[in-house]
Amino acid sequence: MDRRNFLKVGALTGASATLTSCGNPEHQMIRFIPEEEIQGGIAIWKPSVCPLCATGCGMLVRVVDGEAEVIRNGKKGLIQMGLARKLEGNPAHPISQGKLCARGQAAIQVTYHPDRIIHPLKRNGVRGSGPFQEITWDEAITILLSQIDGLAAAGSQNALAFLTKPMRGQRQTLISRFMQSYGAPPPMNFDPFGDQVLRRANAHSFGHEQLPTFDIAQSRYVISFGADFLGTWNAAVPQSAGYGEMRQGKPGHRGKFVQVEARMSQTGANADEWVPVNPGTEGVLALGMAHVIVNLKLRPGNLAALAEYTPAEVAKRTGVKTERIERLAREFAENSPAIAIIGGTPLAHTNGMFSALAVNTLNTLSGSMGKPGGISFMPQPGKDAPPGTSFNKFVTEQLASPESPVKALLLHEANPVYGSPSAWRVREALSKIPFIASFGSFIDETSILADLVLPDHSFLESWVDDVPESGAGIAVASVAPPAMRPIHQTRAMPDVLLDVSHRLAKPLQQPLPWKTYEEMLKDSFESISPGADTWNNAIANGGVWGKTGEPGVRPLVPLFPRYSEPEFDGEGVQFPFHFLPYKSQSFLDGSLAHLPWLQELPDVLSTAMWSSWVEVHTETARGLGLVQGDVVEISSTQGKIQAPVLLSPGIAPNVIAMPMGQGHETFTRFASGRGANPISILAPMAEPETGALAWAATRVRISKVDAASKLILFAGGMREHPDDHR
Amino acid sequence: MPHKWGMAVDLDRCTGCEACVVACHSENNIPTVGETEAARGRAMHWIRIERYWEGEFPEVQVKFRPVLCQQCDEAPCEPVCPTYASSHSEDGLNSQIYNRCIGTRYCANACGYNVRFFNFFTPSWDKPLHLQLNPDVSVREGGVMEKCTFCIQRINAGKVSAGIEQRPLLDGEIQPACVQSCTANALVFGDLADPDSTVSKLSKSPRGTKLLEELGTKPKVTYLQRGSWDDSQKR
Amino acid sequence: MTRKSDSSLTDDLLRPVFETSTKFYVTAAVLAVIVAAGFGTWFYQIYWGMGVTGDNWPVFWGLHETNFVFWIGISHAGTLISAILRIVNATWRRPVTRCAEVITAFALMIGAMFPLVHLGRPWLAWWLIPYPSERLLWPNYRSPLVWDFFAINTYLLSSLLFLALPAIPDFALIRDRTTGWRNWLYGKLSLGWQGTPRQWHRLESAMHMMALAIIPIAISVHTIVSFDFSMAVVPMWHSTIFGPYFVVGAIFSGIAALNIVMAIVRRMLHLEKYLQPIHFRNLGKLMLAMSLLWGYFVFNERLVTWYGNTPHEMAALWSTQLGRYSPMFWTMIFCNFILPFPLLTIRKLRSITATVIASCGVVIGMWLERFLIIVPSLSYKGTSYSWGTYLPRWPEIVIFGASFAAMALLYLLFSKFIPIISIWEMKVGQHSKIKVAAQVQESEAAGELV
Repeated sequence: MDRRNFLKVGALTGASATLTSCGNPEHQMIRFIPEEEIQGGIAIWKPSVCPLCATGCGMLVRVVDGEAEVIRNGKKGLIQMGLARKLEGNPAHPISQGKLCARGQAAIQVTYHPDRIIHPLKRNGVRGSGPFQEITWDEAITILLSQIDGLAAAGSQNALAFLTKPMRGQRQTLISRFMQSYGAPPPMNFDPFGDQVLRRANAHSFGHEQLPTFDIAQSRYVISFGADFLGTWNAAVPQSAGYGEMRQGKPGHRGKFVQVEARMSQTGANADEWVPVNPGTEGVLALGMAHVIVNLKLRPGNLAALAEYTPAEVAKRTGVKTERIERLAREFAENSPAIAIIGGTPLAHTNGMFSALAVNTLNTLSGSMGKPGGISFMPQPGKDAPPGTSFNKFVTEQLASPESPVKALLLHEANPVYGSPSAWRVREALSKIPFIASFGSFIDETSILADLVLPDHSFLESWVDDVPESGAGIAVASVAPPAMRPIHQTRAMPDVLLDVSHRLAKPLQQPLPWKTYEEMLKDSFESISPGADTWNNAIANGGVWGKTGEPGVRPLVPLFPRYSEPEFDGEGVQFPFHFLPYKSQSFLDGSLAHLPWLQELPDVLSTAMWSSWVEVHTETARGLGLVQGDVVEISSTQGKIQAPVLLSPGIAPNVIAMPMGQGHETFTRFASGRGANPISILAPMAEPETGALAWAATRVRISKVDAASKLILFAGGMREHPDDHR
Repeated sequence: MPHKWGMAVDLDRCTGCEACVVACHSENNIPTVGETEAARGRAMHWIRIERYWEGEFPEVQVKFRPVLCQQCDEAPCEPVCPTYASSHSEDGLNSQIYNRCIGTRYCANACGYNVRFFNFFTPSWDKPLHLQLNPDVSVREGGVMEKCTFCIQRINAGKVSAGIEQRPLLDGEIQPACVQSCTANALVFGDLADPDSTVSKLSKSPRGTKLLEELGTKPKVTYLQRGSWDDSQKR
Repeated sequence: MTRKSDSSLTDDLLRPVFETSTKFYVTAAVLAVIVAAGFGTWFYQIYWGMGVTGDNWPVFWGLHETNFVFWIGISHAGTLISAILRIVNATWRRPVTRCAEVITAFALMIGAMFPLVHLGRPWLAWWLIPYPSERLLWPNYRSPLVWDFFAINTYLLSSLLFLALPAIPDFALIRDRTTGWRNWLYGKLSLGWQGTPRQWHRLESAMHMMALAIIPIAISVHTIVSFDFSMAVVPMWHSTIFGPYFVVGAIFSGIAALNIVMAIVRRMLHLEKYLQPIHFRNLGKLMLAMSLLWGYFVFNERLVTWYGNTPHEMAALWSTQLGRYSPMFWTMIFCNFILPFPLLTIRKLRSITATVIASCGVVIGMWLERFLIIVPSLSYKGTSYSWGTYLPRWPEIVIFGASFAAMALLYLLFSKFIPIISIWEMKVGQHSKIKVAAQVQESEAAGELV
């Protein structure tokens, strides 16, 4: 590489740093002594784990030295330090297999985000409107301690609550143990778009309350019911790798892929056959196929239990023609190993459990459970955290009583004010809580309600660990040291929690024996796999993985579920459209909207950037007098939002779909005040058994409004002629 | 023997995930132009996934196609540049020499693939996003043209490593950022001058086509056509 | 026709040089402000970047490049008309030639600014000058833009020469009538002209050589400008028709510009006696001929494209015929092909005003033609996913307007500097008419003529 250019960049950052102090001689930039051994211009690769979605891809971080502006001892200055420059998949990691998805590639922007919280904050005004004032870590811990000690002193330990996205690995363990030892309820998990229904169905069908792992590479036939498994669902990266192999990895064999859904997803775009189906009837189609398979004696089974799922009956209910049902069933049975996948929208109907169990039936019939090319469940070593408290129960209780049952709430990696339907009244429920502390790195709709912010490191600056739930056929426990030193005055949340636990006025019943999170991780790894080298190898490689003795799937007899009719919110005539919010390629459920690369990434089907939009069938739109970009108001029984229209040939005429992710009120300069949030107008429908939000069960109407279009498309052809040039 | 870098894109594997698009931005210091400029059509995605709809609901299908600089052997962007900013390298690459570019944008007009992008403004990075910049890649000034380079910095780094270790380059050793991150392994990069390399073999595949071949540009990217269920059935 | 005495002719034509009205100052001031706004905008564009324009991916060329081709096109009238008319010895040319030559010179200067204006890094434009650099880098001679550089500079130099040569006797005339700094200035400019037969002979030969030489230069210049487009494999650019198509279009627009300029000059400087309806009628006839020729090229180009039905060209074609750009296209056809005919052929409608209206139409139409050559092709190039659109923004429009103001201002200042109608050529014309009349009288008297 050209040293000249490198120096230029270095000089640029140095010069710009120096220039800012030009004219202000008392603020000359100090150069601190480097705090690590670092060789100029040489890149080193360090392992880490991507935290942006639930997959848990192992990554390698390219670290090259550079000059960063930091604060040491209250003084601002420059320091030469190893800086992460590029993220890649870790080729040795069984989940990522050397790859990262678009979001994983963008994850580096979390660390360097200009709106990251760089030191502890204390609220200095009315709650919810900011402003915050900078305080020291000592002050922050003191405030936190006083709150927690206060509750213990009053005997109200059970009034402490911890809200987090579901964590795996030792973070969840630490949080759970802390709460339990302290006498507080288990942490609440906030994950309304997280497939709880499928986990429970798998528990019923296969004895594993867990997301399944698909050996797509060796499969000959994949039929996916609504699962965006090549994009945003489950372990998308290894699933994509497997998909590539299924298609062209074996000369002479090319697997077939069928997608069943009402709206063309990024995954569905790759299907050999795309089958639109009436919303909520995916399970019916699966059982229809099962009926054909058993009827034609392609597999043994109890035909009587499937009596009502004749092709004719199924055709009536699903909208799929009988010949197609019969053909898909035959193909599924005749091309082994075959996999049926269900995820996303079908699980988000009120009858999601039925549909999940129906697809599980299909899989059991296929005979591929636990075999190569089929479905298995990843061993989960060291996973010992008890189940969390229900978030919905917490909200209900908060709203029910005038006095807030929860007196202190600790927030971690969750934004329920944004990510919940308005009908849940989360903001109202949280606002009652006398004390809220957030460990987050950003001010968002939820953390803005905090009284105290104790900013966590970004993942590149942290000890990271994970036990992936799905995506590989072997056991995996990821762990990695920080890839770089912290650039801001942040502290690792686990270290803060441990510190607090040791300084409580009333010590914990079972004290946590570690001073740092690193110690805790070392302990846990050595208990999974004893040996002096285990830890050192683990942190060098990014984790440990290998076959364990556990069988993948317990063999079970096919369960034929009882039918459940999907229920929808909103009457047919007043609310003529099914409303399908979906995890967007860029932002998933909205938690990644703050990353500029992802805002500017053209959504692959719509080519939209920096935008919100609603997908409407081309003919439907014409019938309503809408052209591309017209702004419409989308109203459900719960509220209304506005978004520009995108004409799509890949959606059923009575369905409209909208990506999740935009519509943030407060979420850094890149996401605030842009677009609309479809989650807000969802009706509070639930799947009865798990209580999970049935987010696909809302019906809406749309009407044109007079507003300027904010639809920004990358594809020029689509800007001009959405009908001709698609 | 000089190298001849080329690529193969397997359209049957590409899932449209766009990992390549972001990986490229991350590796090559591509500016993020922001909402206003993106609305004006100035977003710079050196590799993009083109998406085409076929048919009408319900018999509707989508095709994805990653498009990047084809590094044409008969590049139409090269003769038209008045200052040799767009020129051909010994390794068969179309080099964009930022220092020489005076910004006539003729090369972008001549390019039949629309893979060239222009810095309409001098880019800036909100601090500390600038710390992420790749020190091996220059940061371009306003008024300068840019495009995919097949990650020339990685090619050079690979050659340097091989040189230090006094051994030939191995097939697959050098991977541009897009190739490295492609989750379905749809992108393959290598030396077309080496008949044993994967990319050479794929370039001769019966599934192989070239994009806009009729323009006579002799692109060095081979697109492998999507398969069909009927093909699979025949086997 | 009344015969004017030489001195009244000289007085009439010199008056604008020596007498300045308030109207002149006001007009000059207004134009100067607009031109200053143009430069200010240009510096604004240089400071902030090309992003202030409407250019985008993939339509990287827009108004600036349209104006470039437009002004270079306008420049063709002058010298071509002047040169061709000199060679075929069309006597009616005399009052028209300098008007035309001046248009050429200034249109070229203005046109030559636009390649600088459209650059992303204009401070490096000097790399187009071939000089031995320490990096051993020369301009890329294969690039049509480099050809433009040489061609336009050559044309500019030769046009200036073509303008300067016949100006010498008139400079001398002014020298002889002035004192002080003017006398000194015009003395230098007239290069010691005394009007000796030898000097006249030299002037005539030089003019004749220049006239012959400048025709191929002029044709080559706009052909080379057309190569900017036809050398790129872009839909509806990559056509062999572009060379002659552009040259014809250039002459066409040039004549129209000449008509307009002449009409203004005639009115403003009270030159009604010298710029007469016959001149406008003849130029009108030339314009009509060009309109037919231009129409033929347009029709030919489009017919061939349509018949060929190449997929990658049809989108661009249809966008101009029926789609997004069709209003502009049909306006252009109206302005260039439909409007001029009745105005210039129907006897009752023929007048100077009619000619000017038709010419304005042609100028508008030809500007639209340049735009329609550049933008639709770039909009519909390559894969349909990457198609785009273009709308100009205020910096481009201001600079566009300023270019017209600059033309007017330069013309205005020039008319103060030298008579806009070549005095000596008018006198030659007068005398040769007298001579011919005398000859006719003699022949009649001698009974040789019936």
